[in-house]
Amino acid sequence: MTSVVLESVRKSFGSLEIMKGVDLTVEPGEFCVFVGPSGCGKSTLLRIISGLETTTSGQVFIDGKDVTDAEPSERGIAMVFQSYALYPHLTVAENIGFGLSLAKRPKAEIAERVKQTADVLQLSHLLDRKPKALSGGQRQRVAIGRAIIRNPKVFLFDEPLSNLDASLRSQMRIELTELHAKLGATMIYVTHDQVEAMTMADKIVVLNGGQIEQVGTPMTLYNNPASPFVAGFIGSPKMNLFDGEIAARENCRTYGIRPEHIALSSTEGKWQGKVRHIERLGADTVVYLDVPELQTLVVRTDGDRPVKIGETQFASPLTGKEHRFS
Amino acid sequence: MSRRQLYTGIAALAACGVIFVLPFIFIFITAAKTKQDAATLRFSWPVEWQLWQNFVEVVQTRNYMLLLAYFNSTVITVAAVTLLVLFGAMVGYVLQRRPSRWNTVIYGCVLAGLMIPPAIVPTIWVLQLLGLFKTLSGMVLIQVAYGLGFTVLLFRSFIATIPRDLDEAAIIDGAKPFQIFFRVILPLLKPVTVTVIVVQSIAIFNDFTNPLYYLPGRENVTVQLTLYNFQGQFQTQFNLLFMNILLVTIPPLIVFIFFNRQIVAGMTAGAVKG
Amino acid sequence: MTTRKSAYPYWFVLPAAVVFTVLFLAPTVASFWFSLTRWDLFTTQFIGLENYRQFFREPFLIQGLVNTVIYAVLTSGTKTVLGLLLAVLLTSGLWGQGLLRTVIFFPVLVSTIGVGITFSVLMHPTRGLINVALAAVGIHGPGWLTDPALALYSIVFVDLWKGIGLATVIYIAGLASISPDYYEAARIDGATRTQMFFRVTVPLVRPATVTVVTLSLIGGLRSFDLIWAMTRGGPGFSSDVLASVIYKQYQAGFYGLSTAGNVILFLLIGLIVLPLTAWFNRKEVDL
Repeated sequence: MTSVVLESVRKSFGSLEIMKGVDLTVEPGEFCVFVGPSGCGKSTLLRIISGLETTTSGQVFIDGKDVTDAEPSERGIAMVFQSYALYPHLTVAENIGFGLSLAKRPKAEIAERVKQTADVLQLSHLLDRKPKALSGGQRQRVAIGRAIIRNPKVFLFDEPLSNLDASLRSQMRIELTELHAKLGATMIYVTHDQVEAMTMADKIVVLNGGQIEQVGTPMTLYNNPASPFVAGFIGSPKMNLFDGEIAARENCRTYGIRPEHIALSSTEGKWQGKVRHIERLGADTVVYLDVPELQTLVVRTDGDRPVKIGETQFASPLTGKEHRFS
Repeated sequence: MSRRQLYTGIAALAACGVIFVLPFIFIFITAAKTKQDAATLRFSWPVEWQLWQNFVEVVQTRNYMLLLAYFNSTVITVAAVTLLVLFGAMVGYVLQRRPSRWNTVIYGCVLAGLMIPPAIVPTIWVLQLLGLFKTLSGMVLIQVAYGLGFTVLLFRSFIATIPRDLDEAAIIDGAKPFQIFFRVILPLLKPVTVTVIVVQSIAIFNDFTNPLYYLPGRENVTVQLTLYNFQGQFQTQFNLLFMNILLVTIPPLIVFIFFNRQIVAGMTAGAVKG
Repeated sequence: MTTRKSAYPYWFVLPAAVVFTVLFLAPTVASFWFSLTRWDLFTTQFIGLENYRQFFREPFLIQGLVNTVIYAVLTSGTKTVLGLLLAVLLTSGLWGQGLLRTVIFFPVLVSTIGVGITFSVLMHPTRGLINVALAAVGIHGPGWLTDPALALYSIVFVDLWKGIGLATVIYIAGLASISPDYYEAARIDGATRTQMFFRVTVPLVRPATVTVVTLSLIGGLRSFDLIWAMTRGGPGFSSDVLASVIYKQYQAGFYGLSTAGNVILFLLIGLIVLPLTAWFNRKEVDL
């Protein structure tokens, strides 16, 4: 079990500064998720840890050792690419064993280790197939297999689920989490999908514009977001965020309240508004209220709540659930 | 850029300069020399620059034969390329859009055209039967026949990138087949048409073998034939011989300068699956 | 059910089909017949396989056949290997690599006759630039085109000079289609540069390889212009190939024999290229 430590990591491409000074510790055995919008630098950070990119300044430590100038193959890492990078001219067995055959290990050893890895991932019946004959989920498991067989100290995942359709994605989320529990290895996972982050992570690192906005457990980020950015990023539907007059009235720069933390009433409440739009999701209903001083307020309520467009409704924030950002 | 990339680049450029550029420099300077100077075949600066005089003398040789040759080559090239674009696009269009049993036949013909060496003497026999032997029109049709394979291939793969929706919208608007082709599809084919024109023009202009067989005789000489024939004429006048080579090299050079991208695109078509 | 008129009518194919059939297919079919005759374009006299027997009896005809295969294999083999190496070099981020690509490619577009004449002059045994340069470093250069043992190979060199650019450019396009992910995954697995070349680049650049091998083999087997411009098949018959033999027999008026040469060339190309293509397709990989 290995820790990963980043100290003052900066990265520039020419005159463009992508990473603006990142300090981070990933604990041994942790499932750590880097999350953020496109261009925030999460993939760059992952690639810096892997060694595929160098740092402009700063240091990277894996297992206590300074690997800042080390080649990727010397860092004890393995990476699962978004595109899987499965060699189309090799079978599943040859793809998984590729690294070992590069290292010129004996054939028997390669075959044995490939078999073990395939068993773990339920790929044993697919060993002789070529990637083009596999489904998306199977290909992903082969990519993971190629990583596992290296017995790495740290697993790196670069948006591995984005090429899968929605139902497959939720299934793979579970499989990956179970894999983590089984192997107990340190895993760093990059995604733009906050649902993946929330459901899979031990620790989430929210990145924005090349800097870390906040680090914490999923529930910490949910309950105590450090900034409006994190608050708006985590949680769906997005937290209602208001600056300007309403914030001034609440003694802060930005005032926030989550849609699920607002009580709806047809008779009385803090804010009064007209129902502009309703989304019925079955278990929940999302109501968009036009409130004069707030413009639009998004409220989440029960699935079978009787509410109609054009009606007047009252909304009140639940105590203790309001957020005031300075 | 790393130090090694810089040094390797300079070394490679030097090596390629010697191997690939020197011969062209030799052509140019020899074309500018006097007769005696050129006879030494030395790689040296011309003692006396005669570029213009050599040019005039070559052009005037054998009653301005070079001018006639340029005229003939141009006519053949323009006519052949025009027909190639038209016919090739039409075949590529039907081949791509209309799935049918005939497609395998057409593909077979395309591949045959690319692989099979033309049967020379039987072709002469056919041309004579048609009264087209030793004529420019015959030469044009030959170039079309030989160039169709490659042209159809290029058009077909390009048309595959034009969505069928456009055809279908035109059909709904009541367009007849040739209207769909000429007014909807053909204008969209400009990029590949440029490529075809450029690549085929150079190929037909540089063609030596076919005019050698199918256009013997003085009246219908082409540029390449003239260059070949003048070897005897200029046996002792290397300066004029190389001026001739220079003149023959210039048109493709001009095309290359302006259409480099299209030439490379046309010639790599099919190299990468897609 | 009424058959609707297709928006893609068959008659579109007609003009092309007529020209192609009359001026290419028909003569090709006819060549099989005419190769079995003694022919002077007006009268034909059936003589069976006599022309073919002559081809395999006369030393100079056999020489042409052998030379054709040597020429094709040498040029094709070199273009396939050297073209890929050059392409890898010219995509590695060298200083001036755009200029290098242009310089290597330009000869492809130049008149073959012009190239042939130029190199004949450069290869002149005493005054040619190549031997003059060699003499300057104390090497006595041979008669590149005058030595029967060397002539064919000198022409092979010029063919490579002119044609390597096309192979390189095709490979460059093929290399560009290989996703960087494959190289990065190999890098993480600790692959050396050599391993990356043989185990990632070579397999994944296959479509380009197939194109280069096929095009250069067919071109090499049919080669005529360069040989005719530089040696006319000489000295003697040492650099004759099938294409020049076909022309010489035509010039001499032996039309049947010349056509037989055409058929042999046709069969040669078929025998070499078709199995090769089938072999490539069998190992085809969907990228």
